[in-house]
Amino acid sequence: MQRLVKTLVLVSIILGFSLILTIAPEYFIPGEAVRPLAVFYLSTTFNPWIPHLTVNSPEAVTAIVWDYRGLDTLFETAVFYLALIAGIALARGVSIKAEPGNGVGLTVIVKTVTKITAPMVVSVGASIGLHGHLTPGGGFQGGATIAVIPLIIIVTFSIFFVIGRGVTKEKMLVLRSIGLVGIGLTALAALIVGLALGKTAYVFQNMAKPTSEVSLPAYFNGSLISGTLWFFNLFEMIAVAAGFTIAFLLLTYPEKKEGENT
Amino acid sequence: MISIDFINTYLLSVVVFSLLLNFALSIYGIFYRPHYIKKIIALTVLSDTANTFAIYIGYRRWASGGNTNPRPPVIPTTEITPGVLSEFVARSVDPLPQALVLTAVVIGLAVTIFLVFLGHQLFNHYKTLDMRRIKKLKE
Amino acid sequence: MIPPETLTYLFMAVAGIGSTISVYYAIFEKDLLKAVVYSAIQSTFYALLYFLLMAPDIVLVYLPVAVGLIPGVLIILISKTEREERENAEIG
Repeated sequence: MQRLVKTLVLVSIILGFSLILTIAPEYFIPGEAVRPLAVFYLSTTFNPWIPHLTVNSPEAVTAIVWDYRGLDTLFETAVFYLALIAGIALARGVSIKAEPGNGVGLTVIVKTVTKITAPMVVSVGASIGLHGHLTPGGGFQGGATIAVIPLIIIVTFSIFFVIGRGVTKEKMLVLRSIGLVGIGLTALAALIVGLALGKTAYVFQNMAKPTSEVSLPAYFNGSLISGTLWFFNLFEMIAVAAGFTIAFLLLTYPEKKEGENT
Repeated sequence: MISIDFINTYLLSVVVFSLLLNFALSIYGIFYRPHYIKKIIALTVLSDTANTFAIYIGYRRWASGGNTNPRPPVIPTTEITPGVLSEFVARSVDPLPQALVLTAVVIGLAVTIFLVFLGHQLFNHYKTLDMRRIKKLKE
Repeated sequence: MIPPETLTYLFMAVAGIGSTISVYYAIFEKDLLKAVVYSAIQSTFYALLYFLLMAPDIVLVYLPVAVGLIPGVLIILISKTEREERENAEIG
């Protein structure tokens, strides 16, 4: 009862103060025009009439994340990688305690439903990740959606089943390293092509610029792949999903209690 | 006196003020709640509210007297004409805050996962997660 | 009928007030499992707010992260440590 009164007080504070704020609205109500920088990004993101300034991707947010401000995303991936290394370092020395018999995990109903819905979630996540340059989506969105499935599988079938099937921490580390190496190679792709052909090229370059003629292909067999954006999305999806699986495996290892012998 | 403009401004003020209250409640929760997991929950609320402020700044009001709605920053077709492009630039919201918020969500998630690993090690060492008792046990 | 602009702002205001009530319940709740569930409800209201502010990329990031991964990790940590938050710090 007392909490209900406090909730009502909170709602009436919001409604009352908003009435006061309505008297001075020019400072925090959004206007009808956007900034000139936004106009520049919106008008050059898919513009076939200026081929030296465009990104060839109809999705403005993915173009900003991987092309206009690609270095920010590189450092964000590095921060995520370092947090995962710190977590692995804190949990070293953890080992599996024992192998129980059959009948672990949850009931048959939950296991059957998980077997049906897990491939659906993985395919939806892959679709979100690989279409990131045409629709809202991208590498991190797809990777986070796929990473929900290992958590559910560890909880319904037990952790011993998962490790018995071969999904161990070392294999997930290999997958994550493949994703990160792929991101690095894609970032250097234009530079390698430029060095091989003897022309000027830059690191993280996607399309042709006014001072450099090297350009990765924007169309492949008639459909749009926007140069490096598709490859970045693919490798980022693999790296993010494998990284989250490592974190879940380390957190759910059962460990020895004090005073017990193995 | 009660015009449509007044009601629109009032509803947007409700949104801004409830975000400010979320901010204040989460800062109170970080400082004055003694349990470690409650502090982690309040920290996630704090970072999400800061991201919502950034996206709210990039919004665009309805033009021409409330008839043309703003649109997300995605061109819905690949066969493009100059008319489609100019209408897209005139009606779309700002894409730059959304790209920055994407990075911020990933970094917040990485910090939270690291804090959960740290909490696990704290419990193994001190047998409790109540920060007042840990402060007494450390002396 | 209500003009469409006012209807959009009305939904945004409802999402804002709902999120504040959920945050209040989450901060002042003693049982930690219920606090995690209230935090997930707040994240759902925020996802609705992001959708109305025309940011579909952020909705696709925010829904798996804040409604699926963060409560999952926190519930695993709760199951390995303690579940209640006590008022006074007793010794021993």
